[in-house]
Amino acid sequence: MAEPILELNNVTVRRGMGVVLRDFSLKVNAGECVLLHGENGVGKSTVIETAARLLPLESGFVKHNGMMICDGEGRRNNPAKPFGLTLQANCLVPSQTVQQQLDNVVALSDKSYNVKPIIESYKIGNRRNDKIAHLSGGQQRKVAVISGLIPGMVSQESRLILLDEPDSGLDDDSVEILVKQIHMLRNLGHGFVIASHNKRLKECATSLHDLSEATNQTPDFSEVWEVNSDDKNYSLLRTKIGWNLNFTTLVSVQRNWLAALLVMGGLLSIADPLTLSDRDVILMGFTLAPAFTMGLVGDPVFKILSEQRAIDWWRAQNNSVPNSYLESIISGFLITAIAMQIFIQSVDYRIILAGGGIVLSTSFVVRFLQMSTIRLPRSNAVFIRLLTPILILPWGIIVDYCAKL
Amino acid sequence: MRVKSGEIILALGFLGLMLTLYLAFLWAPSVNINAFESPEAQRIFYWHVPAAWAAFIAFAVLFVGSALWFFKRSPLGWKLHIAGSEAGLACGLMAVWSGCVWGAAEWGTPWDWEDWRLNSFGLLTLLALFLVLGRQSQPDGVESRDTFSTFGLYGFVLVPLTYVATRIWVIRHPGPVIGGDEDSSISGDMALVLLIGALSFTTLIIGHILTSIEITKFEQRMDRLQKKLDGE
Repeated sequence: MAEPILELNNVTVRRGMGVVLRDFSLKVNAGECVLLHGENGVGKSTVIETAARLLPLESGFVKHNGMMICDGEGRRNNPAKPFGLTLQANCLVPSQTVQQQLDNVVALSDKSYNVKPIIESYKIGNRRNDKIAHLSGGQQRKVAVISGLIPGMVSQESRLILLDEPDSGLDDDSVEILVKQIHMLRNLGHGFVIASHNKRLKECATSLHDLSEATNQTPDFSEVWEVNSDDKNYSLLRTKIGWNLNFTTLVSVQRNWLAALLVMGGLLSIADPLTLSDRDVILMGFTLAPAFTMGLVGDPVFKILSEQRAIDWWRAQNNSVPNSYLESIISGFLITAIAMQIFIQSVDYRIILAGGGIVLSTSFVVRFLQMSTIRLPRSNAVFIRLLTPILILPWGIIVDYCAKL
Repeated sequence: MRVKSGEIILALGFLGLMLTLYLAFLWAPSVNINAFESPEAQRIFYWHVPAAWAAFIAFAVLFVGSALWFFKRSPLGWKLHIAGSEAGLACGLMAVWSGCVWGAAEWGTPWDWEDWRLNSFGLLTLLALFLVLGRQSQPDGVESRDTFSTFGLYGFVLVPLTYVATRIWVIRHPGPVIGGDEDSSISGDMALVLLIGALSFTTLIIGHILTSIEITKFEQRMDRLQKKLDGE
């Protein structure tokens, strides 16, 4: 007998000070659609986020296609197959275009697929090349819903699709399209877990679950989704190393480079490098200060992924969230070379290497600290950067060392 | 009005601090004027060392509380975590501030970014500040308690590192007074003032921890009553 697409086994999950799910179990097989309903706060979103391994378990385990992806001991494995995920927050990158966003989701499934007809079916075809930030709230929700459905749309194999309040903010026509697509994808053999109060969506369900008991029903819909995708092996390397996000958004220029250049300008305004030619340590400090600043600003990719909780989407799909370490080290080399020309009027590859290392290690530490607080309800308000001044100590040691070269 | 034991101990500690200040500035003998750049500034030492000592005790409480919460989900552990971080912040700031004043007088600079002890102790104090401010920025829940407890556990690694820093990486900061080598020991009236200071600070933070536990208990009770009013 085939393994269930999703299995939550005796999971206990806390949120705030309360236990939201206690010894909760749920199995979803291929071709099933479980619709979670019930009062606000009953735990519908918690089930979805637990299934997407976004919440730590007190006990129990979660399996996708028979493979354990997280458990009460804190173990986390990458899901073997990509799954569809639409959370209450849209989890989009506002600086990307609709096409870029959806291409990333398709690439994660290792498929080649023309998303244009899907975008047009939701009447946002004309906004395909617009940045997500320029769309209305409802249009952004459509993109988020399409992102959640795509792993099913591109695959003949059974996929898990998790949708949390997908109808929220959608107009009636779009809800109709969504309902039809869910029916067709379920008939193809994909498994759904949907949290919603919408009556139309309830018609898609094979099981209505109020988190205490389930009622089975048989949807009356026979049309099956036709898959028109080709296999294509994407490494997603350019996305994972932050190349795509950095180039499309120029976020590192806007944040890290600007801060570094401002520091360089500030230092130039208080001291003329020519008058400091006999003070090696101060000149080296001036030279490596822009690189240090660049690192302290933090990982630019982390910043853009945090904007609409896109980082949660990545954390659910993959243990390695995109980062910009490569871009950091290259930027470190460049800014240090520029600073050397300005402050020392010479170029030494050892100091340039040190500059790259400073940016890389500093942004790594800042990112690590930020990732440590990502689970908090208000992770942006947590003063985590109070811990970064200690980085001045190793920076000072590097400056001393470089001054002696 | 019922006076709690924590408040009495807190008041005793406060009186002890006043006595320490009096003895340090008006009674303790002066140091050898040839041995220091700024001999009179050495009197800060009677405040600085006990404050740092008390901060270490507070960080130990923070560690125990964090471990109890993280591994056992003990409500008492969380109360100790709160009390330890608050006491650690208060004593840490007093030690850092008094150290900066002394450093400015003796070394000519309030801070040395290349001195391991200064920086590791500064980081401990910033960690306590992060825990206090961070906790206030988040709604109470297991997510925030787990996260802050993790930082409390990691932070304690800095305590032994800070203690041994002056033995391993001697740069500027003087060696340890307690448990140091023969040259670092002090005696007579100076030791007496130092002992009174250490006892006063210890009493003060014990009083603070007891009072803080009581306040946290009230806050949690208020929270439960609020939720009851919300109909949860």
